[in-house]
Amino acid sequence: MPISSEQFYRLNAALLVLGLAVLLTIVGVSLYLTSKNEGYFAQVVAIREVRSSTADLLYLVQSAETSQRGFLLVRDEAYLAPYDEAVAEFDGALERLEGAVAGFPALADDAAGMRELLKSKIAELARTVVLAREGRFDEAVDIVQDGSGANLMGQIRARMTTLLEMSDADLRQAIAAQSSAAAWLRYVTIAGALAILAMVAAVAWTLFSYTRDLDRARKDVEIANTALEERVRERTQDLIRANEEIQRFAYIVTHDLRAPLVNIMGFTSELEAMFEPVHVYLKSDADNAEARTKASAALDEEVPEAIGFIRSATQKMDGLINAILKISREGRRPLQPQPIDLAKLLEGAAAAVHHQASADGAGIRVESRAGTIVSDRLSLDQVFGNLLDNAIKYRSPDRPIEIVARSYRDRRGGVVIEFEDNGRGIAPSDHERIFELFRRSGRQNTAGEGIGLTHVRTLVRSLGGDITVRSELHKGSVFTITLPADLNKVKRSADT
Amino acid sequence: MSNTGKPVQIIMIEDDEGHARLIEKNIRRAGVSNEIIPFGNGTDALNHLLGEDGTGEISAGRQLLILLDLNLPDMGGVDILERVKANVHLKRAPVIVLTTTDDAGEIQRCYDLGANVYITKPVDYDGFANAIRQLGLFFSVIKVPEAQ
Repeated sequence: MPISSEQFYRLNAALLVLGLAVLLTIVGVSLYLTSKNEGYFAQVVAIREVRSSTADLLYLVQSAETSQRGFLLVRDEAYLAPYDEAVAEFDGALERLEGAVAGFPALADDAAGMRELLKSKIAELARTVVLAREGRFDEAVDIVQDGSGANLMGQIRARMTTLLEMSDADLRQAIAAQSSAAAWLRYVTIAGALAILAMVAAVAWTLFSYTRDLDRARKDVEIANTALEERVRERTQDLIRANEEIQRFAYIVTHDLRAPLVNIMGFTSELEAMFEPVHVYLKSDADNAEARTKASAALDEEVPEAIGFIRSATQKMDGLINAILKISREGRRPLQPQPIDLAKLLEGAAAAVHHQASADGAGIRVESRAGTIVSDRLSLDQVFGNLLDNAIKYRSPDRPIEIVARSYRDRRGGVVIEFEDNGRGIAPSDHERIFELFRRSGRQNTAGEGIGLTHVRTLVRSLGGDITVRSELHKGSVFTITLPADLNKVKRSADT
Repeated sequence: MSNTGKPVQIIMIEDDEGHARLIEKNIRRAGVSNEIIPFGNGTDALNHLLGEDGTGEISAGRQLLILLDLNLPDMGGVDILERVKANVHLKRAPVIVLTTTDDAGEIQRCYDLGANVYITKPVDYDGFANAIRQLGLFFSVIKVPEAQ
């Protein structure tokens, strides 16, 4: 289906807007998902901080306790080094945990309880270490032995483990959320890319098909243009031909009408002169034998001759005018296009002249391959009749007559009808002349007015065709008629 | 119109018998008494001039003057003119084209082909008679060569 330019612009604009919208959506969703991802990442970092600070604190407390137990057991001051380190770092580590936990209200309570437990534990450790340093090892060991320290330590460990487990759970959740956000980002990007690809493809397709349509339209215009030029040329040729024909016709008519007129005027004047001796005789004496002889010669010979010429001249003029009228009427007769079986029509025309042709012991052959033609039956009948008549009339006296009437289709679908004879032929200089009004060719040994072929040509041309002749003197002639297969089409294109 | 011994023949090629008669009458009135041989069509005229064989040898030794009408029933007068002027025996015979046509192109063409005189037949008879009589007077003074 061809795309109109308006459709093309609208479609392309819509696709561009849609593409832009998709692109903006992808960018928006990406930004949103990235920021969400960053949030998840920060959360993960925070949870990790909770976890590591918890683990550090547990390590410090355990390290301090181990160091205290070692010191009490061995009573060597050297064992207290880790303890001192742990105590020194303890406050920092505790603050770090509290800071880390601050972002997690759910853990805050646990962390607050733990602070008390840790403080108590550190205080217990400090008390024993102070006693031991003062040399009161037994009192310090007693404190350890009463189990409160170990109990505190158990509580701390339990709490710490809970905290670790909770933070682990949070961590897993945060990581899952992060990876799901990343997956979404991927899906959205892929979907967007696909959508944009589809739109690019759609735009490319419309561009391609629009260009192809344009190209096709341009070619059509070129073809139409060429055809139009061809038609203009044909019409111009037809017009030039018609114009030349009219000029030739006017020339022939004036010349041929003038010739008898010269006779009429000439012999009228001569008549006047011829009556002169009659006047002389009438005025003279009755027995003037010389005057009488002259007068009687004029009346008996010259006057009838002059009147005869005047009469034949007027008859000739009448004949000419009738012939011109006939042709003019023929040109105005409304044509009645109807389907005609050419083979039948040709055979009919051949049968009509058959008795004339077969008198010489030969005949007419019909080879019709053109089938049916839509044309005016009466015109074609007259054309065929005239041409067959001519072929018989101007046969060669040396050989039996042979006429072939054939029809076929030419390459452009037109119908060609040929009448080929073996008659006396026509001299090349007369090939155009034979179609002219009142003109004949060759020896005038048969009667004729010189109208037949003019009539035929007028008929054929009014049917939208033309007639030409190929002929060689003493060999024969071929009259070729070309006709449109359908007269209706010609009439229609001639009307518009 | 005379020449060394033989009389000059006037070949009149004119299809209209009335015209032929009027032309003859007026030539006679001018005092020309040469033989006038009329032909009503081109085929017969050419047969007379060129002979059945078409070589024109038949006219050798004749002294001819040709009066030619251009509009003949069977062929154009121009064709006859062309063939006469192209014939080795006849080419020097004077050809007077006497016709109703006053088309400038036709006149030029006839002179190009070697016509010696071109006369248009006037429609009014006074003019016609006058023209032919003057032509007759012209005949009485010109010299006609013998065909080779």
